Amino acid sequence: METFAAAKVAEYFSGKISRRQLIETLALAATTAGFAEPHAAAAATPDPALKVALVNHVSYTCGDFRKAADWYSKMFNLDQVGATQRDIALPFGKRGEQPLGVTAKDVPLTHLIIRSRDLNAPAENSSEPRRKSKALVNHIAYTVADFNKARAIAELKRMGYANPREDTDYSVHIVDPNGFDVQISGIEMNALST
Amino acid sequence: MAYLFKRGSSMERFVAGLVDDLESGKMDRRQFCQTMALAATVYAAGETAANAAASQGFKAIAINHISYACPDYRKARDFYASVFGMEMAPKSDNGKQAFLTFGPEQGKGGSFLITRNGTTATRSTAVIDHVCYTIPNWDEAKVRAALSAKGLNPTGRDGSLHVYDPFDYDVQFANAVQETAFRR
Repeated sequence: METFAAAKVAEYFSGKISRRQLIETLALAATTAGFAEPHAAAAATPDPALKVALVNHVSYTCGDFRKAADWYSKMFNLDQVGATQRDIALPFGKRGEQPLGVTAKDVPLTHLIIRSRDLNAPAENSSEPRRKSKALVNHIAYTVADFNKARAIAELKRMGYANPREDTDYSVHIVDPNGFDVQISGIEMNALST
Repeated sequence: MAYLFKRGSSMERFVAGLVDDLESGKMDRRQFCQTMALAATVYAAGETAANAAASQGFKAIAINHISYACPDYRKARDFYASVFGMEMAPKSDNGKQAFLTFGPEQGKGGSFLITRNGTTATRSTAVIDHVCYTIPNWDEAKVRAALSAKGLNPTGRDGSLHVYDPFDYDVQFANAVQETAFRR
């Protein structure tokens, strides 16, 4: 909480947040279970050794990985690299480029791994069957360059998507050839703007 | 990138944001200059790429967000915040879902995870069977010690590990050596 409060105070003094935002944020934090109870707070404290910096990859499993990969390449102008008999990678950029907003040299480009495989088989480096998840990633939103909603809808229609589902001012949804929900977003769409 | 920093609009906003960070002391002069240099390089590279790019579709530049549905979003929220250091976006928790941010600043390349109440019912024949996150400054001993302290027993190999979250969803996390698109 101390670190959190210090950060918020710093944001306030830098004018990043208003006095009201500072008060509301600290009040909410102080009354949230994780902060209010000392032992719980200790257990909930993240360890810096595990702090994530970016999505490394999204693992997309389907019946025909080549067909899906071609669709994502065409829709999002992604190269295909490292093909095997069962999967292929689609990085968000060229070799040697840095991810958007990242200067650290040990954070590689995010990529999709599109694959076909038996999810009932044991995972890599494990002899046990994969667990049956009770959660689901039900869509992925992609940030695209120069997003403009009207232009995006027009482009989707030109590509054969007559009725993209409109979302905020900065995004639309379609489904890919496997019926998976794909959100196309502008950089303006983020956790602070929605 | 030309498509990202469109003249007179996105780039100006980007630079304005950097200046704000500099003036507020959030970024020092060296960081400011490095970031501006990188932006200029990326912009120039983007101009070339844009000229050569296919004239259809979109140019994906980042994962904007991941929508994760589960029986109790609070458990997932707390797990990803406490284990992987994701940060809850202000006012994003509405009792049904919460936004957890990570990576670069929001609006500057950062992503977020939406943990929300929902079912695993889907009409999709494809599945996102896991998401892998990059951890910079990877220290194998510290990573494994931190996992142990959280009561998590990872599988995988050095530099690329897996754990299950509270809903048995496979979460991978790795360093840049073990997991990169260009070394598979």
